[in-house]
Amino acid sequence: MELKGRVWKFGKDVDTDELFAGRFIMGGDETSQSRYQEFIARSGLSDVGHRENVPRDFLTRVEEGDIIVAEENFGIGSSRQQAAETLKFKGVQAVVADSIHRIFFRNFWNLGCPAIDLPGISAEFETGQEVVISLGQGTIKNLNTGKEFEFRLIIPAWFIDMIEAGGLIPYYKSLKS
Amino acid sequence: MQSDVVLSSCCYFPASLSDLGTTVLSIVLAATWVNSVKYTLIKRAMSMTLVEKILAKKAGKEVVRPDELVEVSVDRAMIHDALGAHTIAKFRALGVGRVWDPAKIVVVLDHYVPNKDIDTAKKCLNIKKFVLEQGIENYYEVGKGGIAHQVLVEKGHVLPGTTLVGVDSHTTTSGVVGAFATGIGVDEMAVVFKTGRLWERVPGTIRVNVEGKLLPPIMSKDLMLFILKRLGISGALFKSLQFTGSAIRQMSFESRMVLTNMAIESGATNGIIEPDQKVADFLRARTNHSFELMQSDQDAEYVETLEFHTDDIKEPMVAVPPKPSNAVRVTEVEGTRIDQAFIGTCTNGRLEDLRIAARILKGRKVDKFTKVIVIPASQEVLKAALEEGLIATFVEAGAAVGPPTCGPCMEAHMGILGPGEVCISTANRNFQGRVGDVTAKIYLASPATVAASALKGKISDPREFFRET
Repeated sequence: MELKGRVWKFGKDVDTDELFAGRFIMGGDETSQSRYQEFIARSGLSDVGHRENVPRDFLTRVEEGDIIVAEENFGIGSSRQQAAETLKFKGVQAVVADSIHRIFFRNFWNLGCPAIDLPGISAEFETGQEVVISLGQGTIKNLNTGKEFEFRLIIPAWFIDMIEAGGLIPYYKSLKS
Repeated sequence: MQSDVVLSSCCYFPASLSDLGTTVLSIVLAATWVNSVKYTLIKRAMSMTLVEKILAKKAGKEVVRPDELVEVSVDRAMIHDALGAHTIAKFRALGVGRVWDPAKIVVVLDHYVPNKDIDTAKKCLNIKKFVLEQGIENYYEVGKGGIAHQVLVEKGHVLPGTTLVGVDSHTTTSGVVGAFATGIGVDEMAVVFKTGRLWERVPGTIRVNVEGKLLPPIMSKDLMLFILKRLGISGALFKSLQFTGSAIRQMSFESRMVLTNMAIESGATNGIIEPDQKVADFLRARTNHSFELMQSDQDAEYVETLEFHTDDIKEPMVAVPPKPSNAVRVTEVEGTRIDQAFIGTCTNGRLEDLRIAARILKGRKVDKFTKVIVIPASQEVLKAALEEGLIATFVEAGAAVGPPTCGPCMEAHMGILGPGEVCISTANRNFQGRVGDVTAKIYLASPATVAASALKGKISDPREFFRET
């Protein structure tokens, strides 16, 4: 399985309060998928202008299929799944980072989006470059520099099927049927 | 496995000897030696830390190793109001009718109670409807429980040697009883609600050994900030923190909860303490269920051991924004102007926390321009504080006392910060914008340091108030 996209370079210590502020947690009608998705996409990264670790034009220029490459400690903090959902609903298809915190890591995969931790990877990418991730081969390639990097993830084998199913909930439903 | 590698290299031993007789003898000797090494290695291969033992037992395996993937049975699953309605929506999306075991689910309304607006009231109504529909007995409405992590422990819902998952990163708190307790997101919780099972990457155990004894007003919060300074916010990522040593053994049960609560601030999967008599006594008064005081094996392998001594903590500690690991000595930030002082949360809203704060505030008035907020962690804590007269002390000192709820630990409800405001808080996180406006600043400290700061309207050293008495 291959994922190709345009890179957004994030800095270090992107925490879950930053990705999705507490004041929005009880907002959004979770019983309606379309309304919920619109609210979550709109409410994430609300204070981005005040942060140094997220590009200022990310919110206005992010597009479907983009990939975040971040420095260390991505997704520190809360279990609020909205932190992962807001990135997905804004169009981000994968996150690659020097290190990714456990709950965010699980949440993002569960949404059907790979989260890949590989120490030192952030130094190899700049915003706007093209990246190709091969989940089957365990490689990340920077198409602009031509450099390729290998990664090894500690994840259950069925995660690949889960990604193909579109996330944990659809995967679980497919198992039942 | 490591033992296989070592044993195969042993086979080369006799080949180095030339004389046949010696070779035969040495083969016999070597066989004996190999057997004894094999025995030692197998024994060692079976040895596990406490968290490994719990995960092995719950996965139905003899032995598990760090970074191995296992599927474990869940003994307790907790949702609260902040993510409960989302969990339920996901559970309904699975298209299944009943939860796997309603007796194993605990529901606590704690973040936005008493409900602050229509959205929060609606989500709590959805949760209550689900609780009634599924026949979930362990339901704590506002006024009945308090903060989930406190309630889980206080009501005896988490037993030594068991597994707990919650839709909250500070679920690690319950590791204080010697359980594996960790946080997950709502999609996973929906699947846990159906299956009662969870996959986990077995965390290698970092042993945090603390010798000595903490002397008031230095508290376990100061110790934990001191530990986090060394570990950093990812120092225990995908690892477990096991707290050991004389300082931990002597520490009260409540003080220990601060350590397991903040284990997540080092990125740890969980925090855990080997259960002792204190834990057994605490739980026997709160549950009829039997439990085993499971310990780490004597020769268990730790991925790392960090040694600390309480003598090294010379002063109360303060974590400066925006990370819990940014700990400095209180005298380094003494005099920093504050707008709000908050005592409460799942980290430091327990009776001993309120007692030490009251000791400092008694007979004094808090700063005229500082908002001082005290929120007990649970109804049980509130009742005990009322009976001891602590609440009267807070009110007389000019503090606002709130009902048990998470309060201004995060940007949820009550005590939200405005632009540029500075808060000193007993909570566990000080990320930028966590408690309101993105330009507000949060300092983390012990209840003693926060109480002392409340009196002066600036960050203050609580030791001053202990010299007087």
